[in-house]
Amino acid sequence: MLNFLEKNLPKIVLAPTTIAMIVCMYGFIVWTGLLSLTKSRMMPQWDFVGLDQYVRLFKNPRWDVAVDNLFIFLILFIVIALVLGLLLAIFLDQKIRVEGAIRTIYLYPMAISFIVTGTAWKWILNPGLGIEKLMNDWGFVGFEFRWLVEQDMAIYCIVIAAIWQSSGFVMALFLAGLRGVDDNLTKAAKMDGASTVRLYWHIILPLMRPVFFSAIVILTHIAIKSFDLVQALTGGGPGYASDLPANFMYTYTFNRSQIGIGAASAMIMLFGVLAVLIPYLYSELREKD
Amino acid sequence: MNKFNLLNINFGRAAIYFILFLFAFIYLAPLYVMFTTSLKDIEEIRSGNLMALPIDPTLYAWKKAWASACTGSECKGLAPYFWNSVRIVFPAVIISTILGAFNGYALAKWKFKGSEFLFGALLFGCFIPFQVILLPMAKLLGALGLANTVTGLVLVHVIYGIAFTTLFFRNYYVGIPTELVKAAKLDGASFLKIFRHIFIPLSTPIFVVTIIWQFTQIWNDFLFGVVYSGSGTQPITVALNNLVNTSVGGKEYNVDMAAAIIAALPTLIVYIIAGKYFVRGLTAGAVKG
Amino acid sequence: MGSISLNGINKSFGSTEVLKDINLDIKDGEFLILIGPSGCGKSTLMNLIAGLEDLTGGEIIIDDKDVSEESPKDRDIAMVFQSYALYPTMNVARNICFGLEMSKMPKNEQEVILKKVSSLLQIDHLLDRKPGQLSGGQRQRVAMGRALARSPKVFLFDEPLSNLDAKLRVEMRTEIKKLHQRIGTTIVYVTHDQIEAMTLADRIAVLKDGELQQVGTPYEIYNDPVSHFVADFMGSPGMNFIECIVKDEKLIIESGGEKYELEMPCKDVIKNSKLDVVLLGIRPEMLTEIQPSVEKNSYIHQIKFDVDVLEPMGADTVAIGQWNESEVMARLSPESGNAAGKGFDLQVDTSKAILFDPNSGLRIR
Repeated sequence: MLNFLEKNLPKIVLAPTTIAMIVCMYGFIVWTGLLSLTKSRMMPQWDFVGLDQYVRLFKNPRWDVAVDNLFIFLILFIVIALVLGLLLAIFLDQKIRVEGAIRTIYLYPMAISFIVTGTAWKWILNPGLGIEKLMNDWGFVGFEFRWLVEQDMAIYCIVIAAIWQSSGFVMALFLAGLRGVDDNLTKAAKMDGASTVRLYWHIILPLMRPVFFSAIVILTHIAIKSFDLVQALTGGGPGYASDLPANFMYTYTFNRSQIGIGAASAMIMLFGVLAVLIPYLYSELREKD
Repeated sequence: MNKFNLLNINFGRAAIYFILFLFAFIYLAPLYVMFTTSLKDIEEIRSGNLMALPIDPTLYAWKKAWASACTGSECKGLAPYFWNSVRIVFPAVIISTILGAFNGYALAKWKFKGSEFLFGALLFGCFIPFQVILLPMAKLLGALGLANTVTGLVLVHVIYGIAFTTLFFRNYYVGIPTELVKAAKLDGASFLKIFRHIFIPLSTPIFVVTIIWQFTQIWNDFLFGVVYSGSGTQPITVALNNLVNTSVGGKEYNVDMAAAIIAALPTLIVYIIAGKYFVRGLTAGAVKG
Repeated sequence: MGSISLNGINKSFGSTEVLKDINLDIKDGEFLILIGPSGCGKSTLMNLIAGLEDLTGGEIIIDDKDVSEESPKDRDIAMVFQSYALYPTMNVARNICFGLEMSKMPKNEQEVILKKVSSLLQIDHLLDRKPGQLSGGQRQRVAMGRALARSPKVFLFDEPLSNLDAKLRVEMRTEIKKLHQRIGTTIVYVTHDQIEAMTLADRIAVLKDGELQQVGTPYEIYNDPVSHFVADFMGSPGMNFIECIVKDEKLIIESGGEKYELEMPCKDVIKNSKLDVVLLGIRPEMLTEIQPSVEKNSYIHQIKFDVDVLEPMGADTVAIGQWNESEVMARLSPESGNAAGKGFDLQVDTSKAILFDPNSGLRIR
């Protein structure tokens, strides 16, 4: 008996986690998926109606806005965070004296909650008393900055706050990647007469490809999951102009008692993440072979 | 090296330093704004602007944020919710870390048929958007009688934190030579004895990284907090969001800012003290993937 | 006391067969060396004996007890690893006593053994240090101490000297030999270094692709190899192999632009094999400069040899040339080596030459 325990202890140790994973991850995903195929409203009703909820979802104007916002957010957030992070990393890699302190400053935003970030930026972008007033006081009379309460511009406030929070992380990733470049490579290139710019463009950046991909996957993941920031910064407003899918899901599931549609929206979010994750994993695994 | 080149080099480096410091300022600006705003009184806020230093600093906002600000229907300030967060975070961090350590050890050094697949399946849990498990988890908590309780939230954080903690420990333990395990087996040590006498003494760095990561994630969480807590059991992030969105009387921006800083302090302090471990946690998970 | 019988050992990882039907009897107190090229399965065999891997087929018997199903700690075996595998967070004393600690031996008894072992290996001044503070040679000794402390029936060494620099390696080799002479416990030792094998072993077991090629004393392996592979493996520089046409039980070689017929000591063997072409195996030390002091018999030949490359090694000079358009190495004295070039006068002693079937690679007897 004791022998059996000893031989199987590793499996026994992993058992609780495995059960939790099967139930609370995969099981729940299946549950939500099934729910999205029913006509449930306030309570789960297991009357299956096929893809009805998805059809309703795609016809829902609020969902449209949320998805549009997501794409705007994704593209701007990822591109700007990548460029910014890369640039700052390259600069920091130039043997800067106070590198440690600067790195610490760039990264601290990652340590605080998105709610705090949202709250702070909500104040900074405050239509009457925030940046607008600051610029006016500094002499730029007539300067207006009311994006926070403008239907078309609210989403960009979220982009700004998100970039502020996460670009430091991208910088850290690239810096680690840059530091991993073999010194000998750089020396050889310099001996071949490459200027600093060409060194980076032709040799070092191509080596950063895996970091680019890791960063994109992680940033996409952050973007798709973005819920806290929107709640705190705009509440999804004005109206639902700055809604993102995560907020849509929350509102419809918990506030509007439309759990069928809520489940459908959650499944779409999952598919979105998988659409990025699976090709990435596939290419990673293939490379290892 | 002619004079022109010398100028060029200095100009280049000066530009780099300038940009780096500019961004440091940009990253610090919100913190500065939050801090100064929290020390001003309402009159000053309305008449002054974001960057102005407080003329007559006062701790009024801080006291109110802590003890008497309204967070929805209650007006007890953030204090009770601060302690809620503490009661949630401590057990959740400790339990998820310990489970992660055992899991990581079993997966790294005691592989069996299907263990790598199990690890992959678990890893997936780091990527799923939690929207897909929100509702079923709520049902489960209800069935267990843990709806709206601190215990329920702890359970949720543990379950969904295990994927990350296991990842951290497993990757770390993979780096420890397996020959140590072989030698210990020959010396007559069992699964648990090897863990206790050999692996745990080597694990201080990864414990620190994991604990800091989990502490930050769980303290800053909003989604699970807002879905699974009741009015008495809300964590500080939820309370902060309520506080900022409740405007009984006029908007007190100074109180909002003070409240935001209070909510951010614990993770900020941890970051300042043990920042480099935090960074290691961020980049380790991402780069190694 | 420490005899091992490996009967019909099979080991597969999935569909890959790593060890095929290994049968080997190791006598109590013997120093047996397992040698072979990378991937031949020697480390796997070691792990099987230790119980760190499970058998796919066959049985392992230690001292008449079948231990095939036993866990490592119940086999009374100790192992020294290539990387030493010392516990990094424990000091030397605890490293050495860890096995004793696990078997719940009382502290005072542990102390006694610790003292004995550490003075035997001359590491008693290092007991408080951690492995990270030791040199390579010191770590080696601690690893051996850890194995010794348990007074096992069998010691397993898995390439223990590979991580040491050349000089240290020679020193430790001697230490290990002295240790074996002193305590007399059975040792099974894995290496890919044939000098270690020749100097340390009572018997050598040569492995290739999971199969035992030959088991014998160093002398037997060196002078009486059963196959081309075994002959090629041992010796540095290695044995020369030349394909020769057979004529009247003599071998034809072309060297230095002329044709010669070599007398072989195994005429019957050649006749019975009925082969027209054989693979001649002859060691470089059998090809030297003309030595007037050597008694002339029919196996001492003198031929012309065109030297292409000279490699001075200090004690002798290796001269590389060609017979039958195959590369051949000769061992010359440094003085003769200096002058060697085209048309060098080479003395060839075929008394110890060995013949192989050029197709199967097996020894012709």
